[in-house]
Parts: sequence; structure tokens; C-alpha cells
Amino acid sequence: MLHARKLVLAHFWVAFVAFLGAIVLGAWQMYIRSPLSTWINNPEHYYRSVTAHGTVMAYVLPTLVAMGFGYAISELALKRPLVGLRWAWAGFGLVIGGTVLAAGAMAAGKASVLYTFYPPMIASPIYYFGVVLVVVGSWIWVALMSINLHAWRRENPGATVPLAMYGNLAGAYLWAWTSVGAAVEVLVLILPASLGLTDTINAGLARVLFSWTLHAIVYFWLMPAYIAFYTLFPRAIGGRLYSDTMGRVAFALFLVFSMPIGIHHLFADPQVGAGFKFVHAAMTAMVSIPTLLTVFTIVASAEIAGRLRGGRGTFGWIRALPWDRPMMLAVTFSFLMLGLGGAGGLVNMSYQLNETVHNTQWVTGHFHLIFGGAIVIMYFMVAYELWPQLARSAPLPAAWIRLQLWLWFIGMLVLSLPWHWVGLLGQPRRMAYFDYRHPALEPQAWTVTMSTFGGLILAVSAVLFVVILARAHRKPAEPAAFTFGAAAHPGLRPPFALNGFALWIAMMIGLSVVNYGYPIVQLALLKEASVPVIPIGSR
Amino acid sequence: MAEPAAMSWRNPWVRGSVAVLIALTIAAMLVGFLWLPSAQADFSAQGLWASICRAAGVPSSWAPATDAARDARPVSTEVVLERSMARDGDKDAIGRGATLALNCTMCHGAHGMSGSDAPNLAGQYPEVVIKQMHDYKSGKRASPIMEQISKALSDRGIADLAAYYAYLPKARTAPTTYDETLPALVRVGDPMRNIAPCISCHGGVDQKFGTPWLEGMPSSYLVVQLQAFASGARRNDSQAQMRNMARAMTPLEIQELAAFYARKASEGERRP
Repeated sequence: MLHARKLVLAHFWVAFVAFLGAIVLGAWQMYIRSPLSTWINNPEHYYRSVTAHGTVMAYVLPTLVAMGFGYAISELALKRPLVGLRWAWAGFGLVIGGTVLAAGAMAAGKASVLYTFYPPMIASPIYYFGVVLVVVGSWIWVALMSINLHAWRRENPGATVPLAMYGNLAGAYLWAWTSVGAAVEVLVLILPASLGLTDTINAGLARVLFSWTLHAIVYFWLMPAYIAFYTLFPRAIGGRLYSDTMGRVAFALFLVFSMPIGIHHLFADPQVGAGFKFVHAAMTAMVSIPTLLTVFTIVASAEIAGRLRGGRGTFGWIRALPWDRPMMLAVTFSFLMLGLGGAGGLVNMSYQLNETVHNTQWVTGHFHLIFGGAIVIMYFMVAYELWPQLARSAPLPAAWIRLQLWLWFIGMLVLSLPWHWVGLLGQPRRMAYFDYRHPALEPQAWTVTMSTFGGLILAVSAVLFVVILARAHRKPAEPAAFTFGAAAHPGLRPPFALNGFALWIAMMIGLSVVNYGYPIVQLALLKEASVPVIPIGSR
Repeated sequence: MAEPAAMSWRNPWVRGSVAVLIALTIAAMLVGFLWLPSAQADFSAQGLWASICRAAGVPSSWAPATDAARDARPVSTEVVLERSMARDGDKDAIGRGATLALNCTMCHGAHGMSGSDAPNLAGQYPEVVIKQMHDYKSGKRASPIMEQISKALSDRGIADLAAYYAYLPKARTAPTTYDETLPALVRVGDPMRNIAPCISCHGGVDQKFGTPWLEGMPSSYLVVQLQAFASGARRNDSQAQMRNMARAMTPLEIQELAAFYARKASEGERRP
């Protein structure tokens, strides 16, 4: 069935091997700064590791998963071979080449700028070339997704785009527009400085441009998970999707609102006006709406499944759900982590509350819980669901998968809940070591030890994940045909606007111009915003 | 599916979505640019338009800053470090610098390696020499000898001297591994006393622009300089970065650090 089988498999394998390496680095980082270890003698090694962990987890893993899953959706949902298979391999090659370049620069200690770049710190140009290649490779994917949808539309005029493909394209268009910010930052501001063409950099503008990418990128990470909620979960638990239209509304709202809100990452930055900070905070609150819609729709879909399985009463359907199925477990864990992390996120985005947690360990806890927890656990499920198709194998062992999911869920809570707690107490993030002898810090030392064990559990879970996938290759079998979840009312036509993207893309661009136009132009014209660059690892 | 129809104003989805988005944006802007600023007396003291400009991030000075007020503030150095100072000098500059350096050999040694507890200059970063010479020249760093010598040098003479000394091989290269045998202040500093590790600026982990190379420096020179920073007698560090480090150190720690950087001073190693 899958013509692009090897392509998708290559994306997933590279993503998961890189993920495994990065998780070992993450676990080491937690150990080395805990009371279990002596202080690291060369703190630069810690920041080198943070840079590598962040670059892989934030750029390489989600980009490759979104690309691989996107190609698979294109074939499975549109039921036609992928157009532009060679281009897709070329895009994959660019991502790999970029990853290798960036990894080389990081390993050599020439790029310990953390994955958020932070000008005026400047790394070796090789690192930035690597990142640019990864992004350009992913733009090929964006173009191919769009081309495939148009090819399908020509063959099926007037037909409703399958929900999985609709979400896939929403993620692709979102990524295309949001990556422009970091691309402009790297190409116009950072690379000239890194290549030695300029001695100063407009750090304020660079940070604003990065915020353009920084927040919406998390919704790009999140799209594969949401597509799995809407199109894989209902079928996997033997139910129906409560509302196909609600899924489209959620994807469209993400497209409009996830982009022009990034300045909530700059609440402590003096170069941005308080008025824009408030507008971005208000718009950030809007992205909770598609998430709440999704939680409602998916829980309603689970209720359909529970009642179909004989559940009765107000809560009886919950007991009737197929709890032994990995997908049921994964979505439950995902929602629990989404709920906790989302509540923490509301604190981050509030202009006033943010002051309490800004740049503390709370922030690290928040995005590990949301991304590493709620989203990555769904990446696992996407891989598990597709693997029989990709590896032409028998269904994967459910008991092992359940163990892996439990370990991931427990590990993530053990890791990130202590971070939230000490973040409230004021522990700064990104520290290579803490002086636990100090009477004020000594009572908090146990939290770092606890997070170390959380990291260890996560590393075990990640190894298990890769082992389960690898072992499947040894058990070849002809897989059953792949299907996406059906809606409760199949054949219901969504409104015109929710079968296309033109309206939502226009609103996304319009709102971006309104929310970012003035701060960008003003900072670009401000001479005082340029500061001397600080090359890292150059001497 | 005809996209033009989806994008037509006749489509209620288009009208409704755009209207709601515009209303939401205007409401957020009214709160962010008018209502919230009005709650802050200093924000809105200069009228409505000024408060809108401030909310938008237009830079303005909150108190009228006159030149007199600026001049009254103490200035630690008049040198603005620029990366152009760090470029390798050409052969001519190095040659001219070598000639000028004949005047320095009495204290700093024939090859930039001092035999008289003056700092070694061999392999020193050029911007470091440039900054210190200009600070001597403007009186921001005190030394009866160096102030006189620097006054005789032109800007170009200083740059040439810096190029020459940067060209010479360093006294010592930095250790390649950092383990517990090195003093803790060198490796990891002391976070609770706000002392950063020496190696995060002076080479090892990283070398911050304008920060001197210390490996192989005479011990007594380092002790005197750290004491001068601690007492405030020396204050040409532009952000008070060294004064803040040295003030928190005990006399014993100062001795220990100086002894570490001065250990086994060699006659000059090859440039790394």
C-alpha cells in the first residue's frame, strides 16, 4: 500500500536514533548537576550537552516525525502514491546533512549557544548552515504536501479533504510561515556576524524574530499528536470521532492564533513595548480554545466508544473503555500531562504571573511536560500504529508498549513536577551546578535528585521504545489495510471554509503583520539596538 | 471545492471570522495601549499620545538627561572594545611594533617574557594591550611608568605594539583537562558569592573579548592587581566585573589563584 514506505521509515529511524542519543545527554545533564555527582569541572561541557539535547529534541525529532508522518498521511488518507518522491528524498538528505553539520559544530564546542541561539552569542557558521539545511529540507516537505493535496483535488473536484490530511496541511502551512522568523534572523542577522562580515548584531531584533518562530514551532510539534487524537484514537479504541468539523475548527484556529503570539516569550525584554506584550498575551489565551475543543471532542469520542462497548450511566462508560489497548492508555496520559502542562502554560503567558517564573526551572518543567510528555507520547503511538505498515510486520506486542508508555508517563512526572516546584521557589534554569552546601539551597537538593531518577526512567523507556520498533523488523508479516478513524456522522459536509486554507492563511498573515509589524520595523531602524557580537568557542 | 467562493465576502464564515478577529484585536489593543497604561501614573504623565508610544515600545528617556548629568557619572574607561582590534596585524604592523617594543624590554623582557614581575605580553590578545595602553594614556589605570610611556605613543603605535606582542608565542598554553587538582575558583567559581569561574572568561572554557591571557603571569603581579581591584584602587574594568570578583575573595584565595596561574612559567610555548 505504502509506496513511500522506505521514505517514511528512513525519517522515523533517523528521528528516533537521534532522540535516543539526545535523551542520554538529557539524563546525564540531570545527573551531573544533582547532589549525586560532584560539580562538573568544565561547565562548557554541560552547555554543549544542553545545546545538542535541545537542537535534536526541538528541531530534528519533531521535524522528521512531522515530515515522515505527513508523507504517510498523504498516501494513506488520499489513497494515491506520493507525488515527488525524489524531491522528498532530497529534502530528507538536506535534513540529514544539516543535522550532521550542526552536530559536528556542537561536538567540537564551537556552537554552545543553546538551541535558542541567543545573539549576541555567535556560534560557528557551520552550526547555522546545518540548522538552515534542516529548515530548507522541511520546506520541501511543505511544498510536497501542498502539491499532493492539489493533485488529489484535481482528481476529486468538490470532495471533502480527509481530516488527517487537513491537519497535516495546517501543520505544514503553519511551519512554512513560522519558520520565516528564525530563517530571517539566521540569514540576515546571525550568519553575517558569524562569518565575520559584521562586528555587531541587532540583538533586540534577533530576539523578536526568534520569538516569531519560537512559539508557533510548538504547535508545529503538536500537530502530529493532534492528528493522532482525531484520526487514530477513535478507531484504535473501537469508537467514532464525535465531530469531524470540530477537528477542522481546531486546526484552523491553530493556524490563525499560534503564530502572532510569540512576544509572550519576551515579557522581560526591554526592547518590546508593554502594549504589544499585552496584545500577545491576550492572543496566547486564544490558543487554549482549540486545545479545549480538542479535549472535549476526544473525550466525547471516547464516550461513544465506551457506550458502544456497553458502558452505562454518567461515568460507567469510562470503565467500559478498552484500557488494555496502548492507544487508550497513551491518550489518557497525554491528556493528563496536557492538562497539567497547559495550566502551567497559562501562568507563563500571563503578563504578570510570568514575572514569578520567568527563566526559572518552572519553564523547563512546563515544556518538558507539554512537549516531551503530551506530544512525544503521541509520537510513540504514531510510530506504533504505522509500524506494521512500514516494517511489514505483525502487530507490535501490546504488553511491552503499555510498559513503555507507563515508564514514559511516570518518568516525565518524576522529572518535571519537581522542576515546577523549585521553579516557584526561584531556581534558575540552565545551571551547570548548584551549591547545595548553602543553607538556602540545601532543602531543595532532593528535587534535583528526584528529577535525575525521572530522567533515568525516561531513558529506559526510550530504549524500550527503540527496541520494540527494532524487533518488529524481525517478524515479517503482511499487515492489515490501514484505516483512519471514522466520524460519528460520516459523509457530513463541513462548511466551505473548513475544507480549504485560504481564509485561515490570510488571517494568519494579517494578524502576524498587525502583531509583529511595528516591533520589527521599529527595532530594525533603531541603531542603538546593535551590540558587539560574542563569538563562542572561537579562542 | 471552489476556493474563490470560500474567500468571498458573501460567505458568512469569511465575514464572521474576519469580523471576530478584528474585534478581538481592537479590544486587546485598547486594553494594552490605552487602559493599562492609564493605570500607571508615570507611564501616562506626558499625555495620551506619549503613553501610547511608550506602550508601543518607542524608546524615550524617562527623565531629561543633560550632558552635565552624564558627565558627572564616574567613567571607568573610555575605550570601547571593537572586534576590529582583535584582527591579526600585518607584517608591517608587527615589524613597527617590534621596533617600538625595544622601549618595553627593560621590564617586559626581550621576547615579552618578563623577568621582573611585570606582566608577560607574549601572545597576549591584541585588544587587551590596546585597551590597557589607552587606559594608561587617559589616566584610567595608574602607573607612573606606563602612563608616561603610553603618552608618547600614537593610536597606531599602540595598535602596532599590540600586533607585535600578539604575534609572539604564549608563555603557557591552558591545561587541557580541568580536574579537582585545580583550585575550585578557577574551575567552577563560587556561585553563592557571585564569583564566576576564572576559566569562563580568561581562557579554558571561553575567552571573553578584552580579557587577558593569564597563564604563566608572574604571581606577584596577579596578587597586586587582584588586591587593587578589591580595594578599588584599580577600576578600569568597564562593568566592574573584576572589582566584583576580587572583592569577594579572601587574601588566601588571591594567593592561591596567583600561584596557580604562575605555576611553571616557561620561556614561551608555541602558539596554540
